[in-house]
Amino acid sequence: MTELKVILAGLGGQGVVFFTRLLSQTAMELGHSVMVSETHGMSQRGGSVISHLKIGGSEAPLVRRGTADILLAMEPDEAVRNLPFLRPGGTIFVNSENGLRPEVAEHLERLEIQVHSLPASQMAMELGVAAIANVILTGFAVAYPALPLPIETLRETVKAIAPRGRELNLQALEIGFQAGRSTNDE
Amino acid sequence: MTDTNTRQEMVLGNEAIALGLVEQGCRVATAYPGTPSSEILAGVVKYKKQLARQVYTEWSVNEKVAFEVALAASWAGLRAAVALKQVGLNVASDPLFSAAYIGVKGGFVIIPADDPGPHSSQTEQDSRLMALTAKVPVFDPATPAEARAMIENAFILSERYEVPVILRPTTRLCHAVQSLPMEVTPAPDGEIPSVKFNKNPTRWAATPKFRYKLHVELNKKLADIEAEFNQSPLNYVVEPIQNPKPVLSGAQRAQVEGSKIQNQVGVIASGVAFNTAKQSLLELDAQIPILKIGTPYPLPQKLVGEFIARFETVVVLEEPDTCIELQLPERSRIRGRLDGTVPTAGELSPEVVSTLLAEVLTGAGYKVNPSLDDVELQTLVNSLPLPIRKPRLCPGCSHRSAFYSLKKEFGLSAIYPGDIGCYTLGSNLRAVDTVVDMGAAVTMANGFYQANRLVGDSRPIVSTIGDSTFLHSGIVPLINAVHTGARFVLIILDNHTTAMTGHQPTPANNYLADGSEATRVASIPNMVRACGVNFVKQTDPYNQETFQEILRDAYNHSQAEDGGVAVIIADRPCVLYDPSSVRDDPLPVVITEECDGCRYCVEAFECPALVLRPDKTRVDIDYKICVNCGQCIDACHKGFIIPEAIANEIPQTVASEATL
Repeated sequence: MTELKVILAGLGGQGVVFFTRLLSQTAMELGHSVMVSETHGMSQRGGSVISHLKIGGSEAPLVRRGTADILLAMEPDEAVRNLPFLRPGGTIFVNSENGLRPEVAEHLERLEIQVHSLPASQMAMELGVAAIANVILTGFAVAYPALPLPIETLRETVKAIAPRGRELNLQALEIGFQAGRSTNDE
Repeated sequence: MTDTNTRQEMVLGNEAIALGLVEQGCRVATAYPGTPSSEILAGVVKYKKQLARQVYTEWSVNEKVAFEVALAASWAGLRAAVALKQVGLNVASDPLFSAAYIGVKGGFVIIPADDPGPHSSQTEQDSRLMALTAKVPVFDPATPAEARAMIENAFILSERYEVPVILRPTTRLCHAVQSLPMEVTPAPDGEIPSVKFNKNPTRWAATPKFRYKLHVELNKKLADIEAEFNQSPLNYVVEPIQNPKPVLSGAQRAQVEGSKIQNQVGVIASGVAFNTAKQSLLELDAQIPILKIGTPYPLPQKLVGEFIARFETVVVLEEPDTCIELQLPERSRIRGRLDGTVPTAGELSPEVVSTLLAEVLTGAGYKVNPSLDDVELQTLVNSLPLPIRKPRLCPGCSHRSAFYSLKKEFGLSAIYPGDIGCYTLGSNLRAVDTVVDMGAAVTMANGFYQANRLVGDSRPIVSTIGDSTFLHSGIVPLINAVHTGARFVLIILDNHTTAMTGHQPTPANNYLADGSEATRVASIPNMVRACGVNFVKQTDPYNQETFQEILRDAYNHSQAEDGGVAVIIADRPCVLYDPSSVRDDPLPVVITEECDGCRYCVEAFECPALVLRPDKTRVDIDYKICVNCGQCIDACHKGFIIPEAIANEIPQTVASEATL
């Protein structure tokens, strides 16, 4: 893998920090050097939360706008807010029932940006735990070649860093992964 | 993938610093929490347990205390460290200046975390400039890995010259998470070193006459340290070769200089800005040498001078202010903050750095890649009505209940001095009018009272301060206010923890930094009484009616002939710290169909769980985040927010009425 730059976005309380750890730890277990920038402090109280993740690349903590390969967003408006981070040809995975605002469609096409959306919050509610939408979205994203992290390693990471509710987390990961596989094959 | 020799772990910048401290034999570590520094001490606790090292760890009552406790340990001969945020160093500045003169014994590392941006601070001040004024050497790490490694350099330098040293991280380093090898460097001494405090009053209690000598000595030490920094591997040139390999030894450096490569532009960078500059130059496809400075004070003048001499133009990138640039004796070739090339406020984001480098390089005749910004897309995104997500108090936060009652009792015309903590967000509820620094809620109220008395302004003055902040800096101002006869209401929002920074204990908690039991626990009401306050009431702000009555009594006391400062302790644990009280006694609510979307509750109560529909027709409760505290019932004037239990009865009533 050459350098992979990922932006992870959402709101305080949506578990952005946790799913950043999930991906970064998995990349590290695969032997890559990893650099992450997290949001702490006051923004965590309901504000916009963003993580920058760099796998196998620069030690600068932040991703420059226009250079991210992937945008993972827990909320469609946060996806739109952070769209300028993506490079042309980049990929968005978003927790949304109906994709992104129509206003951006034309630009997504022009920049050849792929959008894959999944109603992860709804699926999480069906599992009975709203807070697990982040893990579902993670499973969904790794089903695509754009985010080349093997699901097997991700499962190991979940086991390692989510000792509480491990089974539920694995189940959430699986549900997301299967959803990604099926849309991916279509 | 996991090789036992090079086992990697994802480590937060602050924890990397902590790991460095523990593995280098730091024996006393103290701190007062403050973003972005808060995880350093927690990290020391984690690693001392993990590595079975004896380290005394303390969440001190404030930064001055933290500084002096660690300083004494150093004077006794042990390695010691104090961690704080940049404005915390202001609080500890008194001992900082004095300690620089007197010096230290055991290695003493001061770790003030700066906050370019600022993301969560009152100011963007540069602790390196504080160091420059106090005459304390500085290490400026660029990554978590480097911060961890620099702890060793810092302890060694501190001990060699018997000076305190500063290791200065910034937010983006503190909150970076990097994969680090976890084999632990053995401490210089696995055992507690057999040292002890050696009495020497001429030094440790020096009078002004000796202080002059100490100052002369300090200047000599700094000159020697500068000479050492000129040779230090922490300062090196990254030449623009295909695969940039840094670390030029002195000899190699001379070789590069000897070859007299003629370049138009060079870059000097320190801290996080170093890697940002490297990344930007790669993205711009510009082959530009960078001098990486790891020790910005005292500046290695010889090394820097030789580097500058190679170029027509040298860009200086450092955060958040100008420490390197200010120390340059001659700045005719320098492009930085002083000539306006680098913005004089705000963070050096990759966008800021690449834009300014592109400008300088294009001006010097270089051809660089075009900007990576898609202006069209950015313009569109800026024009969209995306929701503004300002930080808000959490659902169920008892501060909200207190602020809401306060507004109901005193209205919007009262003067509300506020303070530093989660409850600074009371400004959203229009119940915080001033924020200066830790403890200023009390002093500002005192000052407003005296000023208002002179000008005949009779508005009520009602201050709010948190428990941790009151203990940090509120007690002394309260003594002052009582003694000078000020009249105001002070509300201590006691949520039993230091909530904003991640629930660190205060002296009013029954446990210490490492989780062990505190045998003595401070009583806030007793302390308030001891300050001379005659009106002290402790009450739960969730009982809004009672709380409002007590507010009225408190105000009356503050106005009574024999009255004075009245203190209310709003007593309820942070709902994140201790969710049990809400969980065990829930009061779920619903919003009835009559809701007309008038927005009163959304604006006046501002709970994130009260959500106005996009079409503005009504407000819904977001049950994903609602904690069932029931505190919003009173936030609808029209009575449309009601307990779920009552709502369940209504349809039956309606139904039975219909059958009649």
